[in-house]
Amino acid sequence: MKYQVVIAGIGGQGAVFLVKVLSIAASLNDQKCLGTENHGMSQRGGQVSCYVKVGDFYSPAIDQGQADLLIALEGNEALRNIQYLKRDGGTIIVNADENFPKTEYETIKIDAFSKAKNREFPIQALNVYMLGVTLARDSHFPFSQENIEEAIRVMNPKVAEQNIGVLHLAIKDAKGIV
Amino acid sequence: MKDILMGNDAIALALIHAGVDMVSGYPGTPSSEILGNFQKYKTKFGVEAYAQWATNEKVGFEVAYAGAIAGKKTCATMKQVGLNVASDALMSASYIGLKGAMLLISADDPGFHSSQTEQDSRSFAKFAKIPVLDPATPAEAYNMVKLGIKISEKFETIVMLRPVMRVCHAREICDVDDKLDFKPNTGEFKRDIPRFAAVPPAGRFRQGLEQFERLELIKEFNWSEFIKPQIKNLNKSKILCLTSGTGHGYVKECVGEMNIKADILKFDMPYPLPKEKIEALFEHYEKVIVFEETYPCIEEQLSSPKLYGKLNGTVHKIDEFSKDKVLNAFVNAKVVESSDNYKNAKYDKELPVRPPNLCPGCPHRDIYYSIMKVFKKKKSIYPSDIGCYTLGLNQGAIDTVLCMGGAVSMASGFSIADPNKTVVATLGDSTFMHSGVSPLINAVYQNHKFILLIMDNSTTAMTGRQTTPQRSNPGTIDIKKLVEGCGVECHEYIYEPNLDKTISFLKMLQKKYEEATGPVVAVMREFCILDKERSSAMLPRIYAKVDEDKCVACDICTTQYKCPPMHYNENHKIEIDPFLCVGCSACIDDLCPTGAFEKVEESVK
Repeated sequence: MKYQVVIAGIGGQGAVFLVKVLSIAASLNDQKCLGTENHGMSQRGGQVSCYVKVGDFYSPAIDQGQADLLIALEGNEALRNIQYLKRDGGTIIVNADENFPKTEYETIKIDAFSKAKNREFPIQALNVYMLGVTLARDSHFPFSQENIEEAIRVMNPKVAEQNIGVLHLAIKDAKGIV
Repeated sequence: MKDILMGNDAIALALIHAGVDMVSGYPGTPSSEILGNFQKYKTKFGVEAYAQWATNEKVGFEVAYAGAIAGKKTCATMKQVGLNVASDALMSASYIGLKGAMLLISADDPGFHSSQTEQDSRSFAKFAKIPVLDPATPAEAYNMVKLGIKISEKFETIVMLRPVMRVCHAREICDVDDKLDFKPNTGEFKRDIPRFAAVPPAGRFRQGLEQFERLELIKEFNWSEFIKPQIKNLNKSKILCLTSGTGHGYVKECVGEMNIKADILKFDMPYPLPKEKIEALFEHYEKVIVFEETYPCIEEQLSSPKLYGKLNGTVHKIDEFSKDKVLNAFVNAKVVESSDNYKNAKYDKELPVRPPNLCPGCPHRDIYYSIMKVFKKKKSIYPSDIGCYTLGLNQGAIDTVLCMGGAVSMASGFSIADPNKTVVATLGDSTFMHSGVSPLINAVYQNHKFILLIMDNSTTAMTGRQTTPQRSNPGTIDIKKLVEGCGVECHEYIYEPNLDKTISFLKMLQKKYEEATGPVVAVMREFCILDKERSSAMLPRIYAKVDEDKCVACDICTTQYKCPPMHYNENHKIEIDPFLCVGCSACIDDLCPTGAFEKVEESVK
């Protein structure tokens, strides 16, 4: 099994946290995993993209046309990274409203910002929320819900239950969107 | 035991497992987490070790090197441009050698992700005549640290480990030692004046000869330890790829995915190479292609008409590798037909750019905004330096960025070369301690007239908020006293999120400058917004919003102040992103000419 994920967002949204969770999940599954981050010079507010490669890989970077999945914590950052998706079968999971343009890729969009503004979940957990959407909607995602929950617990037991709560909320929300 | 580790974490753990008990260095992306993680492991395992930041890389190197002369196992950490600073010490240390062991870790940044140069530390190792190990992944870095310490002990030489960003900041499941068998090395300096204080020419000439002898032995070791075991995998095709470090991973994946018939020989120690023995391996091959980041370090050590690489234009010369670039090299060498396998269409409409910017609420933004208000662009020159504050570029408040401490000496130079302009230089506290003090002494010494603002947030912010001399020794090491010690008055501004106050302070400095005959220096006491220990007390947490009726879309906030939460909405009025705003309140009173910014009563945060 080989699965390549690009995670895109803005500095401060916790893209790197997702790399950690997915790498821990892979190690719990006894799968090979390589991950890396691209975050330029900004501490906050700049564009961030991360790569996770699960399976038999030797280099952590992802080339254009290779990724199975793009998880984007913000709409423009999704569009900025679509070239990394596989031309056939690449999936986008994006935090965006109805204005997100149509692309040639299968796209699951959910307006997580408006949910956070309505205080349905804390904005600091946007990353976990989008991971929940991924679990609910990417049928090829190589991790199970149990797997991800365990990884979240391993990573930081103190805030795990709160994060898992957000994960559940996202799974429920994502099942309802078209 | 298997553990998922970031490269810099793997390196830190390996240092402990290798018995290194003295680590000294200076932060620099992508190397910074090595020393910090070592400190964490040291506490976790309860081992006795010295692991502290130095004022700069040269100091860090020398501390570690003296430890190694005294028989300890030591390590110095830095980024590649930091090695330039430490190079004076390295060049001599390489002649002298050592008694214990020393690993010099110099992390490279192919692709300029967060560095001003793309220089290859392996080529520096070649220049200094020390062996260098080039890991391809975090797991390899773990093993190479332990190996590097052994090689250093065996040959009494400094060994370099050269991880690149894709190793330092990569994550991988690593197989690490279960048990910690950590015995601190008791250091003892044994006097050996002819060796440790060798006097030129005779003393150093002899050491120079020894250095060549040592290199021959290391070449033999390189052959038997790293190269010979791979020979059984060779002679299976007509193309040989020579790889090193991360280049290896890209080549291995590309060759596999594109079904390219090629053998791969990986150089774990890209210098010194046993040239003749390697070239003898070429006999069976039609073409030998060298894949390495970033300089032709391996390529320059070999010679053969079969050799393809950067020097003959087969492989790209600048920027980090990608599989597409590897494939391109195979195409250039006429091994395969061209293919668009690693290409895909970008989004075809323009996307709003996100240039690197200061964080929302960063006090540097107010300082730069105020500089631009007081010292007009046409009549000023703004040299700056290396750090977060370099991002003041966005506000037009920076004209030059060269190297650590360069702002101060360049301010001197500009004041001589273009005396009709006011030179307003900016640099941070950590940079001032690193390399800003001696140029300030020089400016006082030679009466160079300029304004210097030392932007003191009491942390090395850009590299992840490492501690600074002043932060660790409050009241003892102080920038104000240091400036006064250089022979010039030090003005002091305690930052408040109040633009009028900041502007008034700079106007006062402008007056001082008019009367001055030498440098006018001020320390701006700020904080880093991400440094919770200090910022939580200093941030008012008064969040801003926009009264759309008052906003006239004048662009002042988006072109001169440039705080990331401020942007135009669909009504072409400024809007503040409530998730990005940190509540510094600086924009509320004095920024908007029509007073459109106002307080939010209840924040979403």
